[in-house]
Amino acid sequence: MQYTLFIQGSPFSSKACHSAYRFAQALLNSTQHSIEGVFFYEDSVLIANALMQPPRDEANISILWQELAKQHSINLYVCIAAALRRGVINESEMVRHELTQHSLAEGFQLEGLGTLVHLINNSHKTITFR
Amino acid sequence: MTSLLVHISSSPFTSLSAKEGLDIALVMATFEQAVDLYLSGPALSILQVNQAPSLLHGKNLSKALPSLELYDIENVYVCKEDISHLNKTQLNIWDGVHFLDSQQWQQKLQSYQHILRF
Repeated sequence: MQYTLFIQGSPFSSKACHSAYRFAQALLNSTQHSIEGVFFYEDSVLIANALMQPPRDEANISILWQELAKQHSINLYVCIAAALRRGVINESEMVRHELTQHSLAEGFQLEGLGTLVHLINNSHKTITFR
Repeated sequence: MTSLLVHISSSPFTSLSAKEGLDIALVMATFEQAVDLYLSGPALSILQVNQAPSLLHGKNLSKALPSLELYDIENVYVCKEDISHLNKTQLNIWDGVHFLDSQQWQQKLQSYQHILRF
């Protein structure tokens, strides 16, 4: 079965990104399931902030997602509107908004909600993590 | 066609969730997806017409309601029981909403392929 993972909860004040990560691992360990894509929305987009430095004795959920995505060739999409309002900026948005810095972490890509429509249409199930 | 429900239960005045949920519904509809809306709990305050929130309160989401039809979002559902808990004398609810009893709603809920909750 094809899944879209739709993540909404903040990586700090919720376990949405962590639960979704464990769910993704379980899906990828199974031969019957696959992930169409992962879409970060609302406060979950903060996971794509390259500047965050969690204490070393804590799990870095952003790095964990990046590694999982790379290993299994999964796309990590971040809603562009939700990201911009929270200061998660890629290079082209930096130029467009005449800023001097960008902050999008490696392995994540800013996309519009049209990408979510495409993912949902190509999935049997959408699982949300709040 | 994929059938999608956007269920908003967050207050429009305590977080961005309700706004970001409504944004998703509008974008889905723009992409010609069949989208229904269901409002419950604190999100019911979106249906209150004649509200005048300030910029600091947040956007006046009730202003988006009349334009839903232009996006072909025709089904905006609310549970009768939910509304009955509110103080009716102070209510001025948008007239485009469809009321369902909880049994009708339970049946309806099972008909959606994808549900996004805000």
